[in-house]
Amino acid sequence: MPVIALPNIRLHVQELNPGGRETIILVHGMFSNLAVYYFNIAPILARQYHVVLYDMKGHGMSEKAVQGYGLTAMTDDLTALMDSLGIEKAHLAGYSYGGLVALKMATRFPERINKLAVIEGPDPSDQETLAIIDTYSKEFLIHYIDNFADTTRMKAGRRQLEKNHRMYEFLFKETSIRSDMEAEKDFFRDDSISQISSDTLLIYGQNSNCVPSGRILASKIENSELLLVTGDHNVPVQQPEIIGNELYRFFYKSRELDFYETNLLINS
Amino acid sequence: MDQLIQETKLSNEEIFTVLNQFITEVIGEEFVEEMDITPASSFTKDLEMDSIEIVAFSEKVKAHFGENIDFTGWLSNMDLDEIIQLKLENIINYIRECQ
Repeated sequence: MPVIALPNIRLHVQELNPGGRETIILVHGMFSNLAVYYFNIAPILARQYHVVLYDMKGHGMSEKAVQGYGLTAMTDDLTALMDSLGIEKAHLAGYSYGGLVALKMATRFPERINKLAVIEGPDPSDQETLAIIDTYSKEFLIHYIDNFADTTRMKAGRRQLEKNHRMYEFLFKETSIRSDMEAEKDFFRDDSISQISSDTLLIYGQNSNCVPSGRILASKIENSELLLVTGDHNVPVQQPEIIGNELYRFFYKSRELDFYETNLLINS
Repeated sequence: MDQLIQETKLSNEEIFTVLNQFITEVIGEEFVEEMDITPASSFTKDLEMDSIEIVAFSEKVKAHFGENIDFTGWLSNMDLDEIIQLKLENIINYIRECQ
């Protein structure tokens, strides 16, 4: 499996269709990994595009790190990854915390970002995740899996429970992830968000708690459209084909073409 | 000629042996020892593999059997319920058909 050694970290990377017309980079969310895109969403985009997926540090099959989980460090990693792969400019899509990484890229390095898609990016001033970190225990994980994992229809067995528990124990107790996330709480109030000029698609699940976050971003980013699809915060797992097709449509269409012409092109 | 092709094709048992090795590499020998892996084993229920482990397994299948076997493409046509119910024998049959 391809692991790329960047100056500060070794990241697990997957590439599809390297000869594609342009590059799309997909960023997963906190406590997740690139598998959220690998099976459905990435193959849909790879019909035309070079698609790059990677595991963030401390996640999936990337190297563990005790610090550097804030948006500046995460975008430093992504920039180093683009440099390493020789990608000058790319479309960028991120899910949940990965959506915030994508937004931060567009504010720090606008010259390297083409279009931007944010799926279920949460307003970090709502620090619900921090409360979960503070009260985390193995019992919480068992309770969570028993009661809520149905939304992803994955029932974890004993080995998976242990594996997930080890990951949470490491991230919550041995890394700076909590303070790094807390330090980002004013990110949506940062002026730089209003200065994003990339075409931006905001996709949220209509039953998600994060819809108000999508509305805030839609009001601040000039060239943005907000799309609500059936589902909640887990929408990429619940509706991978819809998310894949909407992303494809968004990245494919040019400003000159209207919606129907784009549809004709895609379907022909 | 038919004979030649016949000889280069792997049998179900041979494919199973290769896949069994990949599973061991992905989830670790200490866990595999406790399991009875058979062609009827399902990936998520019996082998308890999560999605990132299935990614690692897919990459090994691609690297070993070549790009002619579009394993990720085959998986991408399945919805999550089908992937959850996927058994080792489904993959063995797919690889055998592609040979």
